[in-house]
Amino acid sequence: MVRIDGRDDAMVTRLEGSEEELELAAWEALAGVHDPEIPPLSITDLGIVERVRVSHGSVDVDLLPTFAGCPALDVIREDVTAAIEAVLPGRTARVRFVYAPPWTSDRITPEGREALTRYGLTPPARGPSTPMIPLASLRRVEGGAACPFCGALDTVLESAFGPTLCRSTHYCRACRNPFEAFKPKAAR
Amino acid sequence: MTAPEDPRVGLLLSIADDELVMGHRHSEWTGWAPHIEEDLAFSSIAQDEIAHARLLYELAEPLTGRTPDEMALGREPREYRSSWLCERPNGDWGYSIARQFLYDTADAVRLEALTASSWTELGDLVKLMQMEERYHLDHGRAWFERLSAGPVTGRQRLADGLSAGIGEAVALFEPLPGEEGLVANGVLPRPTADLLSEWLGAIGEELEAASLDFVLERHGSSSGEMVPTSSGEMEGEEQAFSAPGVARREGRWIHEGGFSGAGGRFGRHSEDFLPLWEEMTGLFRAHPGARW
Repeated sequence: MVRIDGRDDAMVTRLEGSEEELELAAWEALAGVHDPEIPPLSITDLGIVERVRVSHGSVDVDLLPTFAGCPALDVIREDVTAAIEAVLPGRTARVRFVYAPPWTSDRITPEGREALTRYGLTPPARGPSTPMIPLASLRRVEGGAACPFCGALDTVLESAFGPTLCRSTHYCRACRNPFEAFKPKAAR
Repeated sequence: MTAPEDPRVGLLLSIADDELVMGHRHSEWTGWAPHIEEDLAFSSIAQDEIAHARLLYELAEPLTGRTPDEMALGREPREYRSSWLCERPNGDWGYSIARQFLYDTADAVRLEALTASSWTELGDLVKLMQMEERYHLDHGRAWFERLSAGPVTGRQRLADGLSAGIGEAVALFEPLPGEEGLVANGVLPRPTADLLSEWLGAIGEELEAASLDFVLERHGSSSGEMVPTSSGEMEGEEQAFSAPGVARREGRWIHEGGFSGAGGRFGRHSEDFLPLWEEMTGLFRAHPGARW
């Protein structure tokens, strides 16, 4: 591997190397791209990077959109292209959104869940989907999300819909604060 | 493109144009819904529906040679394949909720069928759509249950909305152009008549459980349900109605033929479509090629 600037950090520019090394460099670059709607969360921790393939003149990146109508997709595409082409100059980044397998919130990494909590957004419940009812003002749903402010579980879901497609709105009975969570999975 | 040459395009557009037009109508609640949670709900549902339309237009692009923007905004009115139900103005809140409930329950039936499509790209795309549509279904059903339980005014407005929408909801399942071929090659795994039967049977049971099944017999501009008012008088009046072609046979609601408000799948639209089209496509037509 040739390191053209001789630095030893992760963002060093790679011209050549084994396929594995170049792909690793690409993944490291992607870890530096963040969701513009949830700034502390990288797209790798969000789990939307499905595949990276480095070939002679190009880097193909397959991304899984969280929600089809997410307005951040265009920004993410541009940021991914810039990040890849910065560490692998001379190669064209080709970003593709693919829909199989569908993204689910189970793809968020433990680091991603921590980042969400620090940001004040409760991470979604893991595993099989729990019954989710959207309008707690109509039918109150107990629990399900821990309050990001006080940690209490004495919370109710107010609505499955929130300020962005990927957020739901909740209320904490313990500290009496409204809060947002990463949208829970819908029950089948 | 008065009639799509490839029946697959007609199939994709029947869903995509419904989603686009329904999304446009839902988005008209942004800033106007009765409370802020509903403002967010309708705005979010609109965003999902329009995104689904875009994905379907993308899938159709190799067949149509037109970009998603050109498909969504650059066609003549007769080229759209939306159903009349989706085209109607929002009107009363009760109608909007009733229509969202009717539309999304019907949409769920056709999407579930398409997960088994021999066209695997369509099947994959539909599975993604379903994950988001579940929130819409829950929203419609929660309101259906809440309003049908009363109080009287809310229940009446829901019933009026269901009465006004049920006939055109049945017409969502009008046969598609070239349907026989689509079914034969497995692109459409089940005929529309079969999907209608499934949806109508299920919705009939839900309406019966809420004692609202009278809307299936007396649909039209007003349900005419007799309801006691606070003064003890009976409100509601009988209205002329035309049969939507549904009947109850051996404990189950079935479709016996005939549609009201059909024609959308062949480019024939309700009188409400043209004003909607003019507004929806106005910017695109005034500034061809503009990006925003």
